[in-house]
Amino acid sequence: MNQADVSKLISKLRINVAPRHRNLKNPDGPEGRLLKLRKTVTGLIKHERIELNYNRADEARGYAERLISEAIRYGDCHRTTMELADFWLLEKQLVHKLFKVLVPRFREYPISYTRLLKAPDSPGIAFKRAVLELRGNPYPPLTVDSTRNRALLHNVLLDEAAKAYRAQKVTGVTSEILEKIEREHPSSPAVETQESEVTKSPNISEKSGVLQEKSSEPSYEKT
Amino acid sequence: MAFGACLRTISREYRLNVCITSRLFSSPVKSTASTLPSDAQEQFNEELERKSVTPVDYRFTYPEFLPDPAFARRNTIREKLERMDMLKRRSQIDIPEFYVGSILAVTTSDPHSGGKPHRFLGICISRSGCGLRASFILRNVIDHQGVEVAYEMYNPTIQKIEVLRLEKRLDDELFYLRDALPEYSTFPQDMDPEIKIDGAAVPVNDIKVKLKPRPWLERWERKNLKGVQDLGLPERFYKRAEELATPWEKYDLMKQYRATIPEEEQAEIFSEVYSELHNMEIARKKLKKRKTFIKPKKSG
Repeated sequence: MNQADVSKLISKLRINVAPRHRNLKNPDGPEGRLLKLRKTVTGLIKHERIELNYNRADEARGYAERLISEAIRYGDCHRTTMELADFWLLEKQLVHKLFKVLVPRFREYPISYTRLLKAPDSPGIAFKRAVLELRGNPYPPLTVDSTRNRALLHNVLLDEAAKAYRAQKVTGVTSEILEKIEREHPSSPAVETQESEVTKSPNISEKSGVLQEKSSEPSYEKT
Repeated sequence: MAFGACLRTISREYRLNVCITSRLFSSPVKSTASTLPSDAQEQFNEELERKSVTPVDYRFTYPEFLPDPAFARRNTIREKLERMDMLKRRSQIDIPEFYVGSILAVTTSDPHSGGKPHRFLGICISRSGCGLRASFILRNVIDHQGVEVAYEMYNPTIQKIEVLRLEKRLDDELFYLRDALPEYSTFPQDMDPEIKIDGAAVPVNDIKVKLKPRPWLERWERKNLKGVQDLGLPERFYKRAEELATPWEKYDLMKQYRATIPEEEQAEIFSEVYSELHNMEIARKKLKKRKTFIKPKKSG
């Protein structure tokens, strides 16, 4: 049983961190592994999207996320953080990019700063390929976003389910109001008229199945 | 050299391990905090307040509450149960704040001492373990013989833990005291507790210890010790130490991450135990104020 190191406060990473690091076979041993990963992280910060083997991408992702989270936490006037950035980023203009561009971009992010996507296999290459990119990069997206096109079947079903849920909530609210009125004014003629008025609207909505929403109808995008 | 070797083996033999038997599924802890509000929203607000008020220093004063960061040994339920047990034990006995380098006196019930409690005083040379297995080693020199005793903090046979001198050292572990001159590990068994000022920062004793000539138990020149004087070794030792050094490890961000508990998790853990620990601290301070009478010493 080992005690946790409490000398430094570290923010939790928002990526899946494997229990053990990968050795990433290197003739210079652990030092060589770190130097190779340094090149990868520099490339990621420089180009904001790189394609490489999956294992090295996954390792570099952790280091990139840690570097960015340290930069966000301490800023550029902190000596240790500057030394870290100086070690990890081989091109010195990238240190400026890290603190002046990436930190403001990622400061309010509640999710990870990087995206690791699996790239298609090539017939002659044994190693799995991956694309590692920073979120908010200027390139066109690599994945298709199927949440925008409301004509797709799953979106049609989700929209209908949302409408049915809202209708149910409204009927729930109106029945609550009815109960409240009954409790406050148990037997008054005004109650009966109010009841009949209030019960009209849910009946109408139940018949049609769709409530009239104030917001405009969602537009259907052409793929 | 023979004397040094003799001392080395005997001090290992004298290490007594006091074992504990703790039940994982003990009865629930009686809450010393204020009565919980019935409304769920109020409860949530109170928790939020508690989390923002939790002092970050709790990770220094109560490091054993943090679990082992190794993924294979994490088990949230077991950790929660352990913390409950730890608080229950702390409500029975006062386990004070101490660091490596502080001088403690521990009173335990000893089956071989004919009904009398056994008291051992020494300097804390290491703290290890998490949860209920948290332990520390006290070192002293008695009759020119180095003695080390390892105690487990939550051992129910421990009757009292007193901190006679609260201070820190320049290193996290003082195992080099085994190879240092005996005067650096000698403390009188009838030492008086030194007066502590409430609220003051824990003083750091920047003493530089003189080691005995080689052979040593470890290659201290490779350990980057701050609390030792110049080792005075031939150049080849330092050259070899440089060859074996791993200066890139301080930049290894993922290694650091895997060896720590993240701040958010720490805040969660300490917010769970904060109110009870805080109440215990307050009770301890009140008790201290009552015991202001200091035994008068004869002068002249």
